[in-house]
Amino acid sequence: MTLEAYLIVAAALFALGLIGAMSHRNLIALLIGIELMMNAASLNLMAFNRFVVADPTVGQIFVLIIIGLAAAEVAIFLSIILRLYRAYRDIDAEKLTELSG
Amino acid sequence: MDTLLLILLTTGAPLACFVIALLFLVQRPRAAQGTVLFGSAVSVISAIGLLLQGAVAPLRFLWFQSGGIQLQFGFLLDGASLMFGVVVALITACIMLYSTGYMARDPGKTRYFALLSFFAWSMLSFVYAVDLLQAFIFWELVGLSSFFLIGFWFEKPEAAGAARKAFLMTRIGDVGLFIGILLILQLAQSFDLPGLLDPQSGLATRVSPDALNAIALLIFIGIMGKSAQFPLHTWLPDAMEGPTPVSALLHSATMVAAGVFLMIRLHPLFMAAQDAALIVLTLATFTAILSSTIAMVDSDMKKVLAYSSISQLGFMLMALAAGSLFAGVFHLITHAVFKALLFLCSGIYIHAYHTNHMVEIGRRGGRRLKTATLGLLIGGAALAGVPPLAGFWSKEEIFAQLGRDGFTLYMGGAFLAAFLTAYYTFRMIFLIAKPDRIRAADDSPSEPLAMKIPVWLLALGAIVLGLFGRNIASGLGLIAPHHTFASMLPAIGVVILGIAIAYFDYGRDNAPRTGFIGKIAPLNALFVNKWYIDDFYRVTLVAMTHALSRVLHWVETHILDNNYDRFGLGILRTGAKSTRIQNGWMQLYLGWAILVLAVVALVLG
Amino acid sequence: MLEQSVVYLFVALVLIGGCMAAFSRQVLYAIIGLGISLLGLAGLFLSLGSPFVAAMQVLIYIGGITVAIVFAMMLSIAMSVRPPDPDVRKSMFAIGCAVVFFFAVAYLIRDTSFPQVASPASEKAWSVGALGHALLTHYNLVFETLSLVLLLAIIGAILIARKEKT
Repeated sequence: MTLEAYLIVAAALFALGLIGAMSHRNLIALLIGIELMMNAASLNLMAFNRFVVADPTVGQIFVLIIIGLAAAEVAIFLSIILRLYRAYRDIDAEKLTELSG
Repeated sequence: MDTLLLILLTTGAPLACFVIALLFLVQRPRAAQGTVLFGSAVSVISAIGLLLQGAVAPLRFLWFQSGGIQLQFGFLLDGASLMFGVVVALITACIMLYSTGYMARDPGKTRYFALLSFFAWSMLSFVYAVDLLQAFIFWELVGLSSFFLIGFWFEKPEAAGAARKAFLMTRIGDVGLFIGILLILQLAQSFDLPGLLDPQSGLATRVSPDALNAIALLIFIGIMGKSAQFPLHTWLPDAMEGPTPVSALLHSATMVAAGVFLMIRLHPLFMAAQDAALIVLTLATFTAILSSTIAMVDSDMKKVLAYSSISQLGFMLMALAAGSLFAGVFHLITHAVFKALLFLCSGIYIHAYHTNHMVEIGRRGGRRLKTATLGLLIGGAALAGVPPLAGFWSKEEIFAQLGRDGFTLYMGGAFLAAFLTAYYTFRMIFLIAKPDRIRAADDSPSEPLAMKIPVWLLALGAIVLGLFGRNIASGLGLIAPHHTFASMLPAIGVVILGIAIAYFDYGRDNAPRTGFIGKIAPLNALFVNKWYIDDFYRVTLVAMTHALSRVLHWVETHILDNNYDRFGLGILRTGAKSTRIQNGWMQLYLGWAILVLAVVALVLG
Repeated sequence: MLEQSVVYLFVALVLIGGCMAAFSRQVLYAIIGLGISLLGLAGLFLSLGSPFVAAMQVLIYIGGITVAIVFAMMLSIAMSVRPPDPDVRKSMFAIGCAVVFFFAVAYLIRDTSFPQVASPASEKAWSVGALGHALLTHYNLVFETLSLVLLLAIIGAILIARKEKT
C-alpha cells in the first residue's frame, strides 16, 4: 500500500470519528468518536514516518505519546462522566445546560 | 525688559485672569472684578512697554511641522500691531473700569468680567499673531467671545437671538475666509505672515493675478462678516442687545476692528489684487452711505451708534482699498477711541433712564448728566469730523487718498457719507441735549465715578489723538502726506453743512423735529425699514432655509428613518439569528470548525 | 500477495469498526466497533513495520481504554434504557461536515506530491531497542513529562470521581 492509501484511510477514519462525535448525544459515544479521530492522527504519523521521514523512531514515539495522552484523557473524561451521572442522573450532552445563558 | 516677557504679559495676563476668575472666584464677584482689572492694567502697561521698544523682528515658535508646511505660533511686532495692541488694551481697560459701575448690581458679574478678559486675550493674540492660521484661530475666538457677551443676558430671548445671529452671520463670512486661507496654503505652502507679504518674495510676486483676486475676495468675505459690511452687516445693530459696555468694546477696538485689522495685515495682498480692491472699495462706499442713511432716521441711540460704526468701518475699508495703509490705521485708531467714548456716554444715559430712545432721554433731562453730555458732544464732534478733533484728521486722510488716486466717484460717495454722518450725529446730540420740553425731574440721576473716569480719558483721546497722525505714520514706516488748508476745505464744508441742516431740523427753537428726509416719503420708508435688507433675508434666505428644512425633514422621516429603522432591525434580527449559532452546543462548534478547516484546505491547497 | 490481502483486511476492519462506532445507536455496539477499529489499526501499524507500537495499541487501547469505557457505560447508563431517538437534522449536519472534510483532505492528498524515501529504513532500526534508546536519551524530557501528566490525570480522576463526604 502506498502512502496516499494510508492517508486516505486515516482521513476516512477521522471523518467517521467526526460523525460519531457530532451526531450522538451520549457523552460516551462522543468520547468514542474523539478516540477514533485521535487514532486517525496516529495512523497519519506512522505512515509519514514510514514513507517520508528517514528517522525510524520519531513517528513511533509520537504515537506512543498519543496513546499515553489518550489514556490520561480517558481517565479524566470517564471520571467526569461518573460525576455528571451522579449529579444529574443523565449523561446527555444536550441536557447539561446549567451554564447556558 | 525682555520683549518675549512683555508680549507674554500683554496677551497672557487677560487669559490668566479669565481662568482664575472662572475657576476660583465664581462666588466672589468683587475679587473677580479686581483680578480682571489688575490683569488688564498689566496688559496695558506691557503693551505700552512694547510700543516704546519699537518694532522688532517677529518671534516665532514652531508649533508642528507636517511635510514642508510649518505651523508656528508667535508674535509679529510691527508698527501696526504694536499701536493697535495698545489701543485694544487701553480701551478694554477703560471699558472694564466703566463696567464696574455699569454692571455693579448684575448677578453674573464674575462671568461678565471673565468673558471680557477672555475677549481681550483673543483680540490681543489676534493682533499680534505671526501665523495666518494662528490669526484665524484667534479670529474665531474673538467671534466666540462676542457671541458670549452679546448673549450675556441670555434669559432675554432677543439677546440670545442676537448672539446667535451675530455668530451665524460672521460664520458665513468665516467660511469664505477659511477657504481663502487654505488657498494661500496651497499656493504658498506657508502661513508665515511676514514671508507671505514680503515685497520681494511674497505671495503677490508668485501667483497669477486671478488667483490673487480670488484669495483677496474670499478673505474680504470674512472681513465683510466680521466688520459688518453690506450684505453681512445686519448682525451688528442687533448685537446692541448685549450690555452697553460690551457694545462699546465690540464696536471700537475688538470684534469689528478685527476685520479691518486683518485687511491691514494683508494690505500688500489687496494692493496686488487690483480688481478685488476695487470691489472692496465699491462695497465699502455703498455700506458707508447705506448705514448712514439708516442712522438718520432711527430713534434708538445705540442703533444709531451701531449704524454709524458700520459706516465708519466702511470708511476704513475704503481707505485701505484705495491704497492708503496709513489712513486706514489712523481712522481705525481714532474711531476706536471716539466710538468707545460715544458708547460709554450712551451707557450712562441708559444706566440712568433705562431707555435707549433718544427723544425720551432728552425729555427726561439727559442734559443734566454733565459728563455724559460733554462726552457725547466731544465724541459726536469727533465722529462727525469737526476740526480739530480726531475724526476730522483721519477722515481727511481718507478723502485725500481718494482724491489723489482719482477715485472721483468714490470720493463723492465718501463726502456724501461724511455729510450724513455729521447730520445724524448732531441730530442725536440735539435730540438729547436740546429737547423740546423737559418733564419734571422726579429723580436726580447719578454718574458713578468709575463710569466717569473712562469717559474723561477717552474724551481726552478723542480731542488730541488727531494730532498724532505723523507719529502713527512713522510707526508704520510711512510718511504722512502734507495737507494744506485749502485741501481741507471741502471736508470742513461738508461737515458744516451737515451740522447746519441738523440744527435747522432739530436744534433751533421751534424746530420741526423731523428730518428733511421725512418730506420724501419713499426714501424715508426705505431708510426706516433699513433698506428692507432684513426683510429681504427673511423672505428669501430664511424662507428658503425653511423650505429646505421641510424637504430634508420629509426625507428624514420618510426615507432615512425607515431605512435606518430597517437597518437597525436587520442588525437586531441578525444578532438574534447569530446567537443561535452560539448555543453552547459544542458538537455544532466542532462541525463548523471542521468545515472551515476543509474550506481553508481547499482554498489554499 | 497474501501480505497485501492481509493489509486490506486490516483496512476493512478499521473502516467497518469505525462505521459501527459512528452510526450505532447502542453505546455498547459503538464500543465494540471502537475495539474492532483499534484492532485493525494495530494491524496497520504492524504492516508499517512497528510491532512494538502495534502491541502497545492492543494492550493500552483495547485492553485498557476500551474496557474502561465499558465500565463507565455500565456505571452510568442502564443498559435496558432505550436510547433516545436520533436528531435527524443533527446527524445530517454531522455527516455533511464529515463528507466535506473527507473530500477536502482527499483532494489535498491527491494534489500533493510527497517526497518518497526510496527504501524504508532497515528492520533493525525499527527495533524496540532503538526505540527505547531514543526515548531515554533524545526524547527523555517528553517521556518524563508524559509520565507526570499520567500521574496528574490519575490523581485528578480520583479526585473528581470520588464520593463527596456529606
